[in-house]
Amino acid sequence: MAGADTTFHPCPRPALAVTYEGDDRALLERIVPLVDTIEISPDAIATSDGRRASLRPEVLDEYAAVSPQIKFIAHGVGLSIGSFDHWDEGYLRLLDELFARFELGWHSEHLACTVVAGENTGTMFPMPRTEEALDLICERVRRIQERYPVPFLLEHVIHLLPDAPAEFTPAGFLNAITSRTGCGLVLDAYNLECDVFNQGLDIGAFLGELDLGAVRELHLAGGVKHNGLHLDIHSNTTRDTTLSLALEIVRRAPGLRAVTFEFLKEAVLLLGHDAICAELARIRQAIQ
Amino acid sequence: MTRLEVYQRGLLDLVKRRGAPPEDEYLRRVADSDALATVREIAIWWRVFALEAQCRFTSRLLKRLGRFDEMVAWYFNHHLTSPFVEELSDDFLGSLSPHNDALIRATSQFERAFLKVRAGSAQTFEVLWDRHPDLVFVALENGSDLPPAETECVYRLRIDRNLPGMVACLRERIP
Repeated sequence: MAGADTTFHPCPRPALAVTYEGDDRALLERIVPLVDTIEISPDAIATSDGRRASLRPEVLDEYAAVSPQIKFIAHGVGLSIGSFDHWDEGYLRLLDELFARFELGWHSEHLACTVVAGENTGTMFPMPRTEEALDLICERVRRIQERYPVPFLLEHVIHLLPDAPAEFTPAGFLNAITSRTGCGLVLDAYNLECDVFNQGLDIGAFLGELDLGAVRELHLAGGVKHNGLHLDIHSNTTRDTTLSLALEIVRRAPGLRAVTFEFLKEAVLLLGHDAICAELARIRQAIQ
Repeated sequence: MTRLEVYQRGLLDLVKRRGAPPEDEYLRRVADSDALATVREIAIWWRVFALEAQCRFTSRLLKRLGRFDEMVAWYFNHHLTSPFVEELSDDFLGSLSPHNDALIRATSQFERAFLKVRAGSAQTFEVLWDRHPDLVFVALENGSDLPPAETECVYRLRIDRNLPGMVACLRERIP
């Protein structure tokens, strides 16, 4: 079983990773010297002919061109690991394709539901923190661990809607998953900030209770405030407060291997290449 | 039905504005929350971004008519939406194909056919326009006034991968 290695490995610093969704070779050329790892989202580089989805070969070729200098990890959006009925097999076929082409350090997915009875929700529903949901998630994590030879991580998602009645605290639910399955975690510093702002999450209590040894990857991003809510739209550079929270996690998570700056392809025009590169340099300096 | 199924089906119905008001206490709390409107808005934003990028002429026309956001919201609420932009666009344009506005109908039919042919379809498509399609495309590209409908003729636009530029247009007088 490919669980997270949560033993402490003295490591000078976590790797710096970045998302890149293809079709911008000029950006790729600029970011490659600044980072150690590229995080590939199979869903974001997939195309469908109406019958079957597949990864776009031209984007895979872009990754291949930089593979001598860069490591790769995968981060999915569409598995829908928490759907009451079944997850999305189509996503796993995309992941199979990616594993067949590249060596991936690990792969991860959101702890959420994006498909209900075969219908795409258009958004991510967080999981209710119940024994029922825990059993379902753990069973599926085990199946994924059997299928792929590298560690699998789950990432908590933001909560905009009121929380469903819960049998676990937010950290307790993640601890139960990692202890039962051995899977690792992606902590997202911006998602946590959103939950603090939108839902009143007690971040001190959360980090105090969470088994930080299971955290292998940390996400950083910037979003927007809309209708009085902080939204996890990866459209901006990281706020100072987000980076401060991230640095606290870096100090406290002994198994942390990578810090990933996430931005949407759609945000590149808005941000510009210079700002993205400056942000990577800023994060690199901070996590050293 | 398990609690998880009740929650997930209930949340989806709320996001898509369908079904009877929920009986479940938690789902009633969600229905009454201010955040539900934001979650709906975000779900529609993603579709708007994708459709703007893929359905360039139709989205511009609908914006020009002040109906884009409303049409995408209607589409999202009443259809299964694919996470893949190609499928989403094809289905969205297909949903507009029988529209009672002749210009929306022709533009969406043309764009759907063009995207199919560009993606490799060997099919030949034909779309009837009540005004010169080139003038419509120019107006949508540069923001100038849309041409008026012509009463004495129709334009028969063929879309086929074997045609130069993949399109050919014939002007026909109405007898």
